[in-house]
Amino acid sequence: MGAILGYPIYNLVRLSLQKYGLFELLQHHGVSVGLHNFGSVLHDPVFWHTLVRTIVFTAVNVGLTMVVGTLFALLLVQVSMWVRVLLTVGLVLVWSIPPVVAVQIWNWMTNSQNGVLNYVLTELHVGNFFQHNWFETPFSQLAMVTTLVVWGALPFVAISVYAALSQVSRDLVEAAQIDGARGWRIFKDVTMPVIAPILLILTSLSILWDFGVFTQPFLLIGQGHVVPSNYLMGVYLYEEGYVKTDFGRGAAISILMLVMVALMSVVYVRRMLRMGEATA
Amino acid sequence: MRRRTAHLLGWNAVGIGVFLVMVFPVFWMISTALKPEDQINSVTPTWFPTHPTFAHFRDALARPYFWTDVKNSVIVVLVTVAVAMVLAFLAALALSKYRFTGVKLFIVLMIGIQMLPAAGLIIPLYVVLARYHEVNTLTGVVLVYLTFALPFTVWTLRGFIIGIPPDLEEAAMVDGSTRFGAFIRILFPLVAPGLVATSVFVFITSWNEYIWARTLLSDSGKQTITVWLSYFMGTSRQTDWGALMAASTLTAIPVVLFFLAVQRRIAFGLTQGAVRG
Repeated sequence: MGAILGYPIYNLVRLSLQKYGLFELLQHHGVSVGLHNFGSVLHDPVFWHTLVRTIVFTAVNVGLTMVVGTLFALLLVQVSMWVRVLLTVGLVLVWSIPPVVAVQIWNWMTNSQNGVLNYVLTELHVGNFFQHNWFETPFSQLAMVTTLVVWGALPFVAISVYAALSQVSRDLVEAAQIDGARGWRIFKDVTMPVIAPILLILTSLSILWDFGVFTQPFLLIGQGHVVPSNYLMGVYLYEEGYVKTDFGRGAAISILMLVMVALMSVVYVRRMLRMGEATA
Repeated sequence: MRRRTAHLLGWNAVGIGVFLVMVFPVFWMISTALKPEDQINSVTPTWFPTHPTFAHFRDALARPYFWTDVKNSVIVVLVTVAVAMVLAFLAALALSKYRFTGVKLFIVLMIGIQMLPAAGLIIPLYVVLARYHEVNTLTGVVLVYLTFALPFTVWTLRGFIIGIPPDLEEAAMVDGSTRFGAFIRILFPLVAPGLVATSVFVFITSWNEYIWARTLLSDSGKQTITVWLSYFMGTSRQTDWGALMAASTLTAIPVVLFFLAVQRRIAFGLTQGAVRG
Protein backbone atom coordinates (compact mmCIF):
# COMPACT_ATOMS: atom_id res chain seq x y z
CA MET A 1 0.00 0.00 0.00
CA GLY A 2 2.94 2.28 0.59
CA ALA A 3 3.63 1.70 -3.09
CA ILE A 4 0.14 2.82 -4.13
CA LEU A 5 0.65 6.08 -2.29
CA GLY A 6 4.38 6.54 -2.80
CA TYR A 7 4.62 5.82 -6.51
CA PRO A 8 2.52 8.78 -7.72
CA ILE A 9 4.48 11.13 -5.48
CA TYR A 10 7.79 9.77 -6.77
CA ASN A 11 6.51 10.18 -10.31
CA LEU A 12 5.33 13.70 -9.57
CA VAL A 13 8.78 14.77 -8.43
CA ARG A 14 10.44 13.14 -11.42
CA LEU A 15 7.99 14.71 -13.87
CA SER A 16 8.51 18.16 -12.39
CA LEU A 17 12.18 17.97 -13.36
CA GLN A 18 11.44 16.98 -16.96
CA LYS A 19 10.11 18.43 -20.16
CA TYR A 20 7.06 16.21 -20.58
CA GLY A 21 4.52 17.13 -23.23
CA LEU A 22 2.27 15.17 -25.54
CA PHE A 23 5.23 13.85 -27.51
CA GLU A 24 6.96 12.59 -24.39
CA LEU A 25 3.69 11.09 -23.17
CA LEU A 26 3.51 8.93 -26.28
CA GLN A 27 7.19 8.02 -25.92
CA HIS A 28 6.74 7.39 -22.18
CA HIS A 29 9.99 9.20 -21.71
CA GLY A 30 10.77 12.76 -20.62
CA VAL A 31 13.80 14.98 -21.10
CA SER A 32 15.46 16.21 -17.94
CA VAL A 33 15.47 19.99 -17.60
CA GLY A 34 16.49 20.44 -13.97
CA LEU A 35 14.57 23.10 -12.10
CA HIS A 36 13.41 24.88 -15.25
CA ASN A 37 9.72 24.09 -14.64
CA PHE A 38 9.81 25.55 -11.15
CA GLY A 39 11.56 28.67 -12.40
CA SER A 40 8.99 29.10 -15.14
CA VAL A 41 6.07 28.75 -12.70
CA LEU A 42 7.55 31.04 -10.06
CA HIS A 43 8.17 33.72 -12.70
CA ASP A 44 4.63 33.47 -14.00
CA PRO A 45 2.52 36.38 -12.69
CA VAL A 46 -0.62 34.25 -13.25
CA PHE A 47 0.66 31.83 -10.60
CA TRP A 48 1.06 34.56 -7.98
CA HIS A 49 -2.27 36.22 -8.80
CA THR A 50 -4.01 32.85 -8.67
CA LEU A 51 -2.35 32.03 -5.36
CA VAL A 52 -3.48 35.29 -3.76
CA ARG A 53 -6.99 34.88 -5.20
CA THR A 54 -7.18 31.32 -3.89
CA ILE A 55 -6.03 32.36 -0.41
CA VAL A 56 -8.67 35.10 -0.25
CA PHE A 57 -11.30 32.71 -1.63
CA THR A 58 -10.35 30.06 0.94
CA ALA A 59 -10.41 32.55 3.82
CA VAL A 60 -13.87 33.83 2.84
CA ASN A 61 -15.31 30.37 2.25
CA VAL A 62 -13.90 28.79 5.40
CA GLY A 63 -14.85 31.83 7.48
CA LEU A 64 -18.44 31.80 6.22
CA THR A 65 -18.74 28.01 6.54
CA MET A 66 -17.42 27.90 10.09
CA VAL A 67 -19.31 30.93 11.46
CA VAL A 68 -22.66 30.14 9.84
CA GLY A 69 -22.24 26.41 10.52
CA THR A 70 -21.62 27.07 14.22
CA LEU A 71 -24.62 29.42 14.34
CA PHE A 72 -26.78 26.68 12.78
CA ALA A 73 -25.53 24.24 15.43
CA LEU A 74 -26.36 26.69 18.22
CA LEU A 75 -29.78 27.17 16.63
CA LEU A 76 -30.33 23.40 16.66
CA VAL A 77 -29.87 23.46 20.43
CA GLN A 78 -32.43 26.23 20.91
CA VAL A 79 -35.37 24.98 18.84
CA SER A 80 -38.10 22.49 19.75
CA MET A 81 -37.64 18.83 19.07
CA TRP A 82 -39.71 18.70 15.87
CA VAL A 83 -37.95 21.71 14.33
CA ARG A 84 -34.61 20.09 15.18
CA VAL A 85 -35.57 16.88 13.40
CA LEU A 86 -36.90 18.84 10.42
CA LEU A 87 -33.75 20.95 10.17
CA THR A 88 -31.42 17.97 10.58
CA VAL A 89 -33.18 16.03 7.83
CA GLY A 90 -32.97 19.13 5.62
CA LEU A 91 -29.26 19.50 6.30
CA VAL A 92 -28.56 15.84 5.57
CA LEU A 93 -30.51 16.15 2.33
CA VAL A 94 -28.37 19.11 1.26
CA TRP A 95 -25.23 17.30 2.33
CA SER A 96 -26.05 14.33 0.16
CA ILE A 97 -26.49 16.29 -3.09
CA PRO A 98 -23.63 15.43 -5.47
CA PRO A 99 -21.50 18.51 -6.34
CA VAL A 100 -22.15 18.17 -10.08
CA VAL A 101 -25.90 18.12 -9.43
CA ALA A 102 -25.57 21.17 -7.18
CA VAL A 103 -23.72 23.00 -9.95
CA GLN A 104 -26.57 22.29 -12.38
CA ILE A 105 -29.15 23.54 -9.88
CA TRP A 106 -27.10 26.72 -9.44
CA ASN A 107 -26.88 27.15 -13.22
CA TRP A 108 -30.64 26.96 -13.42
CA MET A 109 -31.37 29.20 -10.42
CA THR A 110 -28.92 31.95 -11.46
CA ASN A 111 -29.48 31.97 -15.21
CA SER A 112 -30.13 35.50 -16.42
CA GLN A 113 -33.23 34.80 -18.55
CA ASN A 114 -35.66 33.36 -16.01
CA GLY A 115 -33.59 32.27 -13.03
CA VAL A 116 -35.48 32.24 -9.76
CA LEU A 117 -32.72 34.20 -7.98
CA ASN A 118 -33.21 37.32 -10.11
CA TYR A 119 -36.97 37.07 -9.66
CA VAL A 120 -36.82 36.74 -5.87
CA LEU A 121 -34.26 39.54 -5.43
CA THR A 122 -36.34 41.87 -7.61
CA GLU A 123 -39.56 40.96 -5.79
CA LEU A 124 -37.90 41.57 -2.41
CA HIS A 125 -36.90 45.03 -3.69
CA VAL A 126 -33.19 44.36 -3.17
CA GLY A 127 -32.78 46.06 -6.53
CA ASN A 128 -33.61 45.56 -10.16
CA PHE A 129 -32.16 42.21 -11.12
CA PHE A 130 -34.23 41.72 -14.27
CA GLN A 131 -31.99 39.61 -16.57
CA HIS A 132 -29.02 40.32 -14.31
CA ASN A 133 -25.98 38.31 -15.38
CA TRP A 134 -24.29 36.76 -12.36
CA PHE A 135 -21.28 35.62 -14.35
CA GLU A 136 -20.19 38.95 -15.76
CA THR A 137 -17.12 39.74 -13.64
CA PRO A 138 -14.56 37.42 -12.01
CA PHE A 139 -15.69 38.77 -8.64
CA SER A 140 -19.33 37.85 -9.10
CA GLN A 141 -18.37 34.51 -10.67
CA LEU A 142 -16.35 33.61 -7.61
CA ALA A 143 -19.07 34.98 -5.34
CA MET A 144 -21.49 32.52 -6.96
CA VAL A 145 -18.95 29.71 -6.51
CA THR A 146 -18.70 30.75 -2.86
CA THR A 147 -22.47 30.48 -2.29
CA LEU A 148 -22.38 27.03 -3.89
CA VAL A 149 -19.39 25.78 -1.88
CA VAL A 150 -20.63 27.17 1.43
CA TRP A 151 -24.13 25.80 0.89
CA GLY A 152 -22.69 22.35 0.32
CA ALA A 153 -20.26 22.52 3.25
CA LEU A 154 -22.62 23.91 5.92
CA PRO A 155 -24.45 20.67 6.82
CA PHE A 156 -21.28 18.75 7.72
CA VAL A 157 -20.04 21.59 9.94
CA ALA A 158 -23.41 22.26 11.55
CA ILE A 159 -24.10 18.62 12.35
CA SER A 160 -20.57 17.96 13.66
CA VAL A 161 -20.59 21.06 15.88
CA TYR A 162 -24.07 20.15 17.12
CA ALA A 163 -22.78 16.72 18.12
CA ALA A 164 -19.94 18.40 20.03
CA LEU A 165 -22.37 20.85 21.68
CA SER A 166 -24.35 17.98 23.15
CA GLN A 167 -21.29 17.24 25.30
CA VAL A 168 -21.47 20.64 26.96
CA SER A 169 -22.65 20.01 30.51
CA ARG A 170 -25.99 21.63 31.38
CA ASP A 171 -24.89 21.97 35.00
CA LEU A 172 -21.94 24.11 33.98
CA VAL A 173 -24.17 26.36 31.89
CA GLU A 174 -26.63 26.72 34.75
CA ALA A 175 -23.84 27.40 37.24
CA ALA A 176 -22.55 30.12 34.94
CA GLN A 177 -26.06 31.59 34.67
CA ILE A 178 -26.40 31.67 38.46
CA ASP A 179 -23.09 33.49 38.59
CA GLY A 180 -24.66 36.09 36.31
CA ALA A 181 -23.08 35.15 32.99
CA ARG A 182 -25.13 35.84 29.87
CA GLY A 183 -25.22 34.74 26.22
CA TRP A 184 -21.85 35.60 24.69
CA ARG A 185 -19.98 35.10 27.98
CA ILE A 186 -21.38 31.60 28.43
CA PHE A 187 -20.54 30.73 24.84
CA LYS A 188 -16.98 32.01 25.18
CA ASP A 189 -16.09 30.52 28.56
CA VAL A 190 -18.25 27.41 28.91
CA THR A 191 -19.20 26.21 25.43
CA MET A 192 -16.11 27.20 23.48
CA PRO A 193 -13.54 25.10 25.41
CA VAL A 194 -15.66 21.98 24.83
CA ILE A 195 -16.17 22.46 21.10
CA ALA A 196 -12.76 24.01 20.37
CA PRO A 197 -11.06 20.73 19.31
CA ILE A 198 -13.80 19.88 16.83
CA LEU A 199 -13.81 23.44 15.49
CA LEU A 200 -10.07 23.17 14.93
CA ILE A 201 -10.40 19.93 12.98
CA LEU A 202 -13.33 21.22 10.93
CA THR A 203 -11.48 24.44 10.12
CA SER A 204 -8.36 22.59 8.96
CA LEU A 205 -10.43 20.20 6.85
CA SER A 206 -12.36 23.10 5.29
CA ILE A 207 -9.16 24.97 4.49
CA LEU A 208 -7.74 21.93 2.71
CA TRP A 209 -10.94 21.25 0.78
CA ASP A 210 -11.53 24.85 -0.27
CA PHE A 211 -7.91 25.49 -1.21
CA GLY A 212 -7.96 22.58 -3.64
CA VAL A 213 -11.54 22.99 -4.87
CA PHE A 214 -12.01 22.18 -8.55
CA THR A 215 -15.40 20.83 -9.57
CA GLN A 216 -17.51 23.79 -8.44
CA PRO A 217 -15.49 26.67 -9.99
CA PHE A 218 -14.67 24.67 -13.12
CA LEU A 219 -18.25 23.71 -13.88
CA LEU A 220 -20.17 26.70 -12.53
CA ILE A 221 -18.03 29.30 -14.27
CA GLY A 222 -18.04 26.94 -17.23
CA GLN A 223 -15.24 25.28 -19.10
CA GLY A 224 -15.22 27.86 -21.85
CA HIS A 225 -15.17 30.72 -19.37
CA VAL A 226 -12.37 29.80 -16.97
CA VAL A 227 -9.66 32.35 -17.74
CA PRO A 228 -6.57 33.58 -15.81
CA SER A 229 -8.64 36.36 -14.20
CA ASN A 230 -10.91 33.87 -12.39
CA TYR A 231 -8.53 30.94 -11.86
CA LEU A 232 -8.35 29.19 -8.52
CA MET A 233 -5.36 26.91 -7.85
CA GLY A 234 -7.19 23.70 -8.79
CA VAL A 235 -8.40 25.12 -12.09
CA TYR A 236 -5.05 26.79 -12.84
CA LEU A 237 -3.27 23.49 -12.36
CA TYR A 238 -5.74 21.64 -14.57
CA GLU A 239 -5.53 24.20 -17.39
CA GLU A 240 -1.74 24.62 -17.32
CA GLY A 241 -0.81 20.99 -16.89
CA TYR A 242 -3.52 18.82 -18.36
CA VAL A 243 -5.30 20.98 -20.94
CA LYS A 244 -2.06 22.43 -22.34
CA THR A 245 -0.48 18.94 -22.03
CA ASP A 246 2.60 20.42 -20.35
CA PHE A 247 2.83 17.72 -17.70
CA GLY A 248 6.27 18.70 -16.43
CA ARG A 249 5.15 22.23 -15.65
CA GLY A 250 1.87 20.92 -14.25
CA ALA A 251 3.82 18.63 -11.95
CA ALA A 252 5.87 21.59 -10.70
CA ILE A 253 2.64 23.48 -9.91
CA SER A 254 1.25 20.37 -8.18
CA ILE A 255 4.32 20.10 -5.97
CA LEU A 256 4.16 23.75 -4.97
CA MET A 257 0.47 23.30 -4.19
CA LEU A 258 0.97 20.07 -2.27
CA VAL A 259 3.75 21.61 -0.18
CA MET A 260 1.43 24.46 0.79
CA VAL A 261 -1.34 21.99 1.65
CA ALA A 262 1.08 19.85 3.64
CA LEU A 263 2.17 22.85 5.69
CA MET A 264 -1.46 23.75 6.34
CA SER A 265 -2.41 20.24 7.37
CA VAL A 266 0.33 19.83 9.98
CA VAL A 267 -2.10 20.95 12.67
CA TYR A 268 -4.74 18.46 11.58
CA VAL A 269 -2.40 15.51 11.18
CA ARG A 270 -0.78 16.08 14.57
CA ARG A 271 -4.18 16.21 16.21
CA MET A 272 -5.38 13.01 14.52
CA LEU A 273 -2.14 11.27 15.41
CA ARG A 274 -2.53 12.17 19.06
CA MET A 275 -6.11 10.85 19.04
CA GLY A 276 -4.90 7.71 17.28
CA GLU A 277 -2.23 7.11 19.89
CA ALA A 278 -4.66 7.58 22.74
CA THR A 279 -6.58 4.53 21.55
CA ALA A 280 -3.65 2.46 20.31
CA MET B 1 -42.64 31.06 31.52
CA ARG B 2 -44.38 33.11 28.85
CA ARG B 3 -41.07 34.74 27.97
CA ARG B 4 -39.56 31.31 27.44
CA THR B 5 -42.41 30.28 25.14
CA ALA B 6 -42.02 33.48 23.15
CA HIS B 7 -38.30 32.79 22.88
CA LEU B 8 -38.92 29.24 21.73
CA LEU B 9 -41.40 30.43 19.11
CA GLY B 10 -38.85 32.93 17.86
CA TRP B 11 -36.09 30.33 17.58
CA ASN B 12 -38.44 27.87 15.91
CA ALA B 13 -39.35 30.51 13.34
CA VAL B 14 -35.66 31.11 12.65
CA GLY B 15 -35.11 27.35 12.42
CA ILE B 16 -37.89 26.91 9.88
CA GLY B 17 -36.55 29.89 7.92
CA VAL B 18 -33.09 28.31 7.78
CA PHE B 19 -34.64 25.00 6.73
CA LEU B 20 -36.54 26.65 3.86
CA VAL B 21 -33.52 28.55 2.54
CA MET B 22 -31.19 25.54 2.74
CA VAL B 23 -33.59 23.07 1.18
CA PHE B 24 -34.91 25.44 -1.50
CA PRO B 25 -32.37 24.49 -4.22
CA VAL B 26 -33.25 20.81 -3.84
CA PHE B 27 -36.96 21.60 -3.84
CA TRP B 28 -36.50 23.78 -6.91
CA MET B 29 -34.72 20.98 -8.76
CA ILE B 30 -37.54 18.50 -8.14
CA SER B 31 -40.26 21.06 -8.72
CA THR B 32 -38.74 22.11 -12.06
CA ALA B 33 -38.31 18.52 -13.14
CA LEU B 34 -42.05 17.96 -12.71
CA LYS B 35 -43.36 21.18 -14.28
CA PRO B 36 -44.59 21.51 -17.86
CA GLU B 37 -42.47 23.52 -20.29
CA ASP B 38 -44.52 26.77 -20.20
CA GLN B 39 -44.32 26.98 -16.39
CA ILE B 40 -40.55 26.51 -16.49
CA ASN B 41 -39.89 29.11 -19.15
CA SER B 42 -42.17 31.83 -17.81
CA VAL B 43 -40.41 34.82 -16.24
CA THR B 44 -42.75 34.64 -13.23
CA PRO B 45 -41.97 31.34 -11.53
CA THR B 46 -44.61 28.80 -10.56
CA TRP B 47 -43.60 27.54 -7.15
CA PHE B 48 -45.31 24.16 -7.07
CA PRO B 49 -45.81 21.81 -10.00
CA THR B 50 -49.60 22.24 -10.22
CA HIS B 51 -49.79 20.09 -13.35
CA PRO B 52 -47.06 17.52 -12.71
CA THR B 53 -45.66 15.71 -15.72
CA PHE B 54 -43.02 13.00 -16.10
CA ALA B 55 -42.17 14.09 -19.63
CA HIS B 56 -38.80 15.55 -18.59
CA PHE B 57 -37.80 12.32 -16.91
CA ARG B 58 -38.65 10.45 -20.11
CA ASP B 59 -36.60 12.98 -22.11
CA ALA B 60 -33.63 12.61 -19.79
CA LEU B 61 -33.73 8.82 -19.89
CA ALA B 62 -33.94 8.84 -23.67
CA ARG B 63 -30.84 11.00 -24.10
CA PRO B 64 -27.82 9.36 -25.69
CA TYR B 65 -25.48 7.49 -23.36
CA PHE B 66 -27.61 7.89 -20.23
CA TRP B 67 -27.97 4.17 -19.60
CA THR B 68 -24.43 3.34 -20.73
CA ASP B 69 -22.99 5.89 -18.36
CA VAL B 70 -25.21 4.80 -15.48
CA LYS B 71 -23.98 1.27 -16.10
CA ASN B 72 -20.36 2.50 -16.10
CA SER B 73 -20.93 4.31 -12.81
CA VAL B 74 -22.48 1.22 -11.24
CA ILE B 75 -19.57 -0.98 -12.36
CA VAL B 76 -16.95 1.47 -11.11
CA VAL B 77 -18.70 1.95 -7.78
CA LEU B 78 -19.31 -1.74 -7.09
CA VAL B 79 -15.78 -2.82 -7.96
CA THR B 80 -14.25 0.01 -5.97
CA VAL B 81 -16.38 -0.77 -2.91
CA ALA B 82 -15.70 -4.51 -3.04
CA VAL B 83 -11.93 -4.24 -3.50
CA ALA B 84 -11.62 -1.38 -1.01
CA MET B 85 -13.47 -3.32 1.68
CA VAL B 86 -11.33 -6.46 1.39
CA LEU B 87 -8.02 -4.61 1.25
CA ALA B 88 -8.93 -2.08 3.91
CA PHE B 89 -10.19 -4.73 6.30
CA LEU B 90 -6.95 -6.70 6.06
CA ALA B 91 -4.81 -3.58 6.36
CA ALA B 92 -6.82 -2.35 9.34
CA LEU B 93 -6.47 -5.73 11.00
CA ALA B 94 -2.70 -5.63 10.54
CA LEU B 95 -2.53 -2.08 11.85
CA SER B 96 -4.52 -2.78 14.99
CA LYS B 97 -3.60 -6.36 15.96
CA TYR B 98 0.00 -6.81 15.09
CA ARG B 99 2.81 -4.48 16.05
CA PHE B 100 5.36 -3.62 13.47
CA THR B 101 7.76 -0.75 13.02
CA GLY B 102 6.66 2.17 10.94
CA VAL B 103 3.02 2.15 12.08
CA LYS B 104 3.24 5.82 12.87
CA LEU B 105 4.70 6.69 9.49
CA PHE B 106 2.03 4.59 7.85
CA ILE B 107 -0.72 6.45 9.68
CA VAL B 108 0.74 9.84 8.80
CA LEU B 109 0.97 8.77 5.15
CA MET B 110 -2.63 7.65 5.17
CA ILE B 111 -4.01 10.80 6.70
CA GLY B 112 -1.71 12.81 4.48
CA ILE B 113 -2.96 11.29 1.25
CA GLN B 114 -6.52 11.88 2.37
CA MET B 115 -5.71 15.56 2.65
CA LEU B 116 -4.12 16.03 -0.76
CA PRO B 117 -6.28 17.88 -3.25
CA ALA B 118 -7.25 15.61 -6.13
CA ALA B 119 -6.18 18.30 -8.58
CA GLY B 120 -2.60 17.99 -7.32
CA LEU B 121 -2.35 14.32 -8.24
CA ILE B 122 -3.99 14.42 -11.66
CA ILE B 123 -0.78 14.89 -13.57
CA PRO B 124 1.38 12.10 -12.10
CA LEU B 125 -1.43 9.54 -12.02
CA TYR B 126 -2.47 10.42 -15.56
CA VAL B 127 1.06 9.88 -16.80
CA VAL B 128 1.43 6.62 -14.88
CA LEU B 129 -1.88 5.29 -16.17
CA ALA B 130 -0.98 6.36 -19.71
CA ARG B 131 2.20 4.32 -19.42
CA TYR B 132 0.16 1.21 -18.62
CA HIS B 133 -2.52 2.08 -21.19
CA GLU B 134 -5.17 2.49 -18.53
CA VAL B 135 -6.32 5.91 -19.68
CA ASN B 136 -9.87 5.82 -21.01
CA THR B 137 -10.63 2.55 -19.21
CA LEU B 138 -12.83 1.93 -16.20
CA THR B 139 -9.99 -0.04 -14.60
CA GLY B 140 -7.87 3.11 -14.47
CA VAL B 141 -10.67 5.01 -12.76
CA VAL B 142 -11.16 2.23 -10.22
CA LEU B 143 -7.44 2.24 -9.42
CA VAL B 144 -7.52 5.98 -8.81
CA TYR B 145 -10.63 5.77 -6.63
CA LEU B 146 -8.98 3.05 -4.56
CA THR B 147 -5.98 5.28 -3.95
CA PHE B 148 -8.26 7.86 -2.44
CA ALA B 149 -10.73 5.53 -0.72
CA LEU B 150 -8.28 3.23 1.04
CA PRO B 151 -6.77 5.71 3.52
CA PHE B 152 -10.18 6.66 4.89
CA THR B 153 -11.53 3.13 5.02
CA VAL B 154 -8.41 1.68 6.69
CA TRP B 155 -8.42 4.49 9.23
CA THR B 156 -12.09 4.08 10.07
CA LEU B 157 -12.02 0.28 10.26
CA ARG B 158 -8.96 0.40 12.48
CA GLY B 159 -11.02 2.47 14.91
CA PHE B 160 -13.73 -0.20 14.92
CA ILE B 161 -11.31 -3.09 15.42
CA ILE B 162 -9.43 -1.38 18.23
CA GLY B 163 -12.74 -0.91 20.06
CA ILE B 164 -13.14 -4.70 20.36
CA PRO B 165 -11.50 -6.10 23.52
CA PRO B 166 -8.93 -8.82 22.67
CA ASP B 167 -10.31 -10.86 25.60
CA LEU B 168 -13.34 -11.72 23.50
CA GLU B 169 -11.25 -13.37 20.84
CA GLU B 170 -9.04 -15.11 23.37
CA ALA B 171 -12.07 -16.42 25.24
CA ALA B 172 -13.34 -17.95 22.02
CA MET B 173 -9.99 -19.62 21.40
CA VAL B 174 -9.84 -20.93 24.97
CA ASP B 175 -13.26 -22.45 24.31
CA GLY B 176 -11.73 -24.45 21.47
CA SER B 177 -12.22 -22.15 18.52
CA THR B 178 -9.45 -21.74 15.96
CA ARG B 179 -7.98 -18.34 15.26
CA PHE B 180 -9.97 -18.24 12.03
CA GLY B 181 -13.14 -19.43 13.79
CA ALA B 182 -12.77 -16.73 16.39
CA PHE B 183 -12.27 -14.22 13.65
CA ILE B 184 -15.43 -15.21 11.78
CA ARG B 185 -17.66 -15.60 14.84
CA ILE B 186 -16.42 -12.82 17.12
CA LEU B 187 -14.52 -10.16 15.25
CA PHE B 188 -16.47 -10.06 12.01
CA PRO B 189 -19.97 -9.41 13.43
CA LEU B 190 -18.56 -6.64 15.63
CA VAL B 191 -16.84 -4.93 12.71
CA ALA B 192 -19.81 -5.37 10.36
CA PRO B 193 -21.37 -1.97 11.16
CA GLY B 194 -18.03 -0.36 10.38
CA LEU B 195 -17.86 -2.21 7.07
CA VAL B 196 -21.36 -1.06 6.16
CA ALA B 197 -20.65 2.56 7.03
CA THR B 198 -17.34 2.73 5.19
CA SER B 199 -18.63 0.96 2.10
CA VAL B 200 -21.50 3.42 1.88
CA PHE B 201 -18.99 6.23 2.20
CA VAL B 202 -16.91 4.80 -0.64
CA PHE B 203 -20.07 4.25 -2.68
CA ILE B 204 -21.09 7.89 -2.30
CA THR B 205 -17.68 9.43 -2.99
CA SER B 206 -17.12 7.25 -6.08
CA TRP B 207 -20.60 7.92 -7.44
CA ASN B 208 -20.16 11.68 -6.95
CA GLU B 209 -16.59 11.86 -8.22
CA TYR B 210 -16.09 14.15 -11.19
CA ILE B 211 -12.56 15.38 -11.79
CA TRP B 212 -10.91 11.98 -12.34
CA ALA B 213 -13.67 10.50 -14.40
CA ARG B 214 -13.60 13.62 -16.53
CA THR B 215 -9.82 13.57 -17.00
CA LEU B 216 -9.41 9.87 -17.62
CA LEU B 217 -12.50 8.96 -19.63
CA SER B 218 -12.79 10.75 -22.96
CA ASP B 219 -15.24 8.55 -24.94
CA SER B 220 -18.92 9.35 -24.43
CA GLY B 221 -19.71 5.67 -24.10
CA LYS B 222 -17.14 5.16 -21.37
CA GLN B 223 -17.99 8.02 -19.05
CA THR B 224 -19.67 8.01 -15.68
CA ILE B 225 -22.99 9.61 -14.86
CA THR B 226 -21.52 12.76 -13.27
CA VAL B 227 -19.50 13.48 -16.42
CA TRP B 228 -22.58 12.81 -18.52
CA LEU B 229 -24.55 15.28 -16.41
CA SER B 230 -21.83 17.93 -16.59
CA TYR B 231 -21.98 17.90 -20.42
CA PHE B 232 -25.76 18.27 -20.43
CA MET B 233 -25.77 22.07 -20.78
CA GLY B 234 -23.23 22.34 -23.56
CA THR B 235 -25.17 20.33 -26.09
CA SER B 236 -27.44 23.11 -27.35
CA ARG B 237 -27.82 26.87 -27.16
CA GLN B 238 -31.17 26.75 -25.44
CA THR B 239 -30.88 24.59 -22.34
CA ASP B 240 -33.71 22.17 -21.68
CA TRP B 241 -33.98 23.03 -17.99
CA GLY B 242 -36.77 20.56 -17.28
CA ALA B 243 -34.81 17.60 -18.61
CA LEU B 244 -31.62 18.85 -16.94
CA MET B 245 -33.32 19.01 -13.55
CA ALA B 246 -34.91 15.60 -14.12
CA ALA B 247 -31.47 14.17 -14.94
CA SER B 248 -29.99 15.87 -11.87
CA THR B 249 -32.72 14.37 -9.69
CA LEU B 250 -32.02 10.91 -11.07
CA THR B 251 -28.27 11.30 -10.44
CA ALA B 252 -28.84 12.41 -6.87
CA ILE B 253 -31.40 9.75 -5.86
CA PRO B 254 -29.05 6.81 -5.09
CA VAL B 255 -26.75 9.01 -3.04
CA VAL B 256 -29.56 10.64 -1.09
CA LEU B 257 -31.05 7.26 -0.18
CA PHE B 258 -27.78 5.80 1.08
CA PHE B 259 -26.85 9.00 2.81
CA LEU B 260 -30.07 9.22 4.79
CA ALA B 261 -29.50 5.62 5.85
CA VAL B 262 -26.08 6.07 7.42
CA GLN B 263 -25.36 9.76 7.87
CA ARG B 264 -24.81 9.58 11.62
CA ARG B 265 -21.93 7.15 11.34
CA ILE B 266 -20.24 9.12 8.62
CA ALA B 267 -20.63 12.40 10.46
CA PHE B 268 -18.78 11.05 13.44
CA GLY B 269 -16.42 8.88 11.46
CA LEU B 270 -14.89 11.86 9.73
CA THR B 271 -14.18 13.72 12.92
CA GLN B 272 -14.03 11.66 16.05
CA GLY B 273 -15.73 8.27 15.94
CA ALA B 274 -13.21 6.98 13.43
CA VAL B 275 -10.44 7.22 15.95
CA ARG B 276 -12.46 6.46 19.01
CA GLY B 277 -14.16 3.36 17.71
